[in-house]
Amino acid sequence: MWNFLKDVWHLFGRLFPFPTKPGLRRIGDPDRSSPVLVTCNYELTVRKVIQTLVRDGVDAWLLVAPTKGINVWCAAGGGHFTTDTVVSILKTSGIDNHVDHRRLILPQLSARGVNFWGVKEHTGWKPRFGPADIKDLAAYLRAGKSRTEREHRRVKFVVKDRFVMGTNLGFNTVLLLILPLLISSIWLTGLWWKTLPLLFVLSVASSVGVFWLPGKVGVQKGVSLGVLAAAIFVVLSQTFWQLPPWPLLGWTGWIVVLSAYVGYDMPSWSPLWRQDPKELVLGVKQTQIEIIQEKCINCHLCDIVCPSDVFRHDPEAKKYEVANLDACQACGACIENCPTEAIVSNFRGGTCACPTCAIIDGVGALKRKTQKREVPTVEPVPAAANCDTEACQCALEDREPGIELQTPENENGIRFP
Amino acid sequence: MSTLVYMKMLEQTPAKYDRGMRLLTLGRIDRIKREIASIWVEPGNDVLEIGCGTGTLAALMTERGAHVLGIDVSEPMLAVARESAPRAEFRHMTATEIDQLGAERFDRIVATLSFSELSEGELEYVIGASAGILKPGGKLVVADEMPASRWWQRSVARLVRWPLAALTFLLTQNTTHALRRFEERLDRTRYRVLHRERYLLGTLALVVAEKA
Repeated sequence: MWNFLKDVWHLFGRLFPFPTKPGLRRIGDPDRSSPVLVTCNYELTVRKVIQTLVRDGVDAWLLVAPTKGINVWCAAGGGHFTTDTVVSILKTSGIDNHVDHRRLILPQLSARGVNFWGVKEHTGWKPRFGPADIKDLAAYLRAGKSRTEREHRRVKFVVKDRFVMGTNLGFNTVLLLILPLLISSIWLTGLWWKTLPLLFVLSVASSVGVFWLPGKVGVQKGVSLGVLAAAIFVVLSQTFWQLPPWPLLGWTGWIVVLSAYVGYDMPSWSPLWRQDPKELVLGVKQTQIEIIQEKCINCHLCDIVCPSDVFRHDPEAKKYEVANLDACQACGACIENCPTEAIVSNFRGGTCACPTCAIIDGVGALKRKTQKREVPTVEPVPAAANCDTEACQCALEDREPGIELQTPENENGIRFP
Repeated sequence: MSTLVYMKMLEQTPAKYDRGMRLLTLGRIDRIKREIASIWVEPGNDVLEIGCGTGTLAALMTERGAHVLGIDVSEPMLAVARESAPRAEFRHMTATEIDQLGAERFDRIVATLSFSELSEGELEYVIGASAGILKPGGKLVVADEMPASRWWQRSVARLVRWPLAALTFLLTQNTTHALRRFEERLDRTRYRVLHRERYLLGTLALVVAEKA
């Protein structure tokens, strides 16, 4: 019952923090060699992670880090899920006493806040970034590879997620505009109660249909949705209500305006596009990102942490390069984790509109590691550096034996220590 | 549209943080800081400040002649602190790492409005660790949000709590929560409470405890 109510809330209120108790959770029947996983303390995330792991028969130790009740991606961007958070949960959970190994699996999407080298230096644990989606974790563990498969690193935005983000977008748009619309109804009677449901429907439609609508993401897609919705409206109104020409024209225009507005805000609610005003209004890519080739030491981290598959490996030069700038959403994970500061960019603070990560550094630069503690610098090594030679600086050189997974014997495989 | 509004409104700067905290405690926090520096810290003391923020208290304590080490997890805050208290030492460190600073090293451990940002597990750990790094007879000085002691104060506090929490979040992007059963925790951990004072309807408290 409670879970159902919570799920209903999560359909609309994901903008708001929803904390659950941080600490150590046992998943299934973990032993001294079981994997140690880290996640945030957003209620929905923790519940889904545990459900998925139990379903997949994974025995593991789960560290629920104190991220102020914010999900992994947003908390990492907003400075609530950082190297310090990982340091803190490792110390306070007492996980040291439960396992013999020191291998830590971090969510890939925490990479914009968590520094690989920092965790290594300050905790003595060996971190690595797991898959982006918890559903792929079982496959990742079974493979026993130190690196996630490319497809598991990439963030997807499937119809179900788009719908849920659409309802959230709708709820928040309504919340934001309810007061101005109520005031406007002093002059335009009845405008507000017709506009608010319209906004909600347009929000859901713009999110669900984002890949199918023509135009660039942002205002352009918003306008195309608006034109489509206006056309439907004209047909309906002529068939059923016989609206006179002036109100008909007014409503048609109003629908397009609202839709453009929603189209502008929608990328904030997606895991794929960045809320850059110029990008979303003009449809011109603003983000620049470049790897200084001389500094690249071929450690693979930029590629591993990238949720949008921006980088390509050049096997000849044993370097990485930017291959897919269009997909880059300026999350800053690669910049945070590059040990030689080889990645340069013109990012500015914040990837979306909500208070959580827009505040990183206001309009200051993300180029500096502002929120982050000192991390060891790795000296650039000559081109000989690659994964086949001794000079390799690769953070992920070792392979582990794969873990055999079994389905749990009972449904309630979760115990709290 | 909402993006630009939010971005401007929520730009997080250390100066804004100070203003926000001052407003939320109705100026009381400045007076408490002066009291800590003049009464609870003595010249020559080795002081650890947990969550030093912009270093206002660290500056007051160094003026009094104490040797101050301030730790915080926010680099922009530390940058401001280094300027405002040039004689103090500052380090980027989480509160849970204080046990690495050396056993029985400090005369005083001071924390103002920073324990309330810790999770319950962290708080428990930090109190235990703090007892380890204090010299025998050393003092832990904490000024923070705590639940009021009288029922009517608690009811009033609860009424203003929600708008206040929203305001805090807008001003500082911090969600603090009152320290519950703080003195009980101290009693369990080799501490003896020497002094307690309550302000603002009992919701803000200064607690001084001595390591037994």
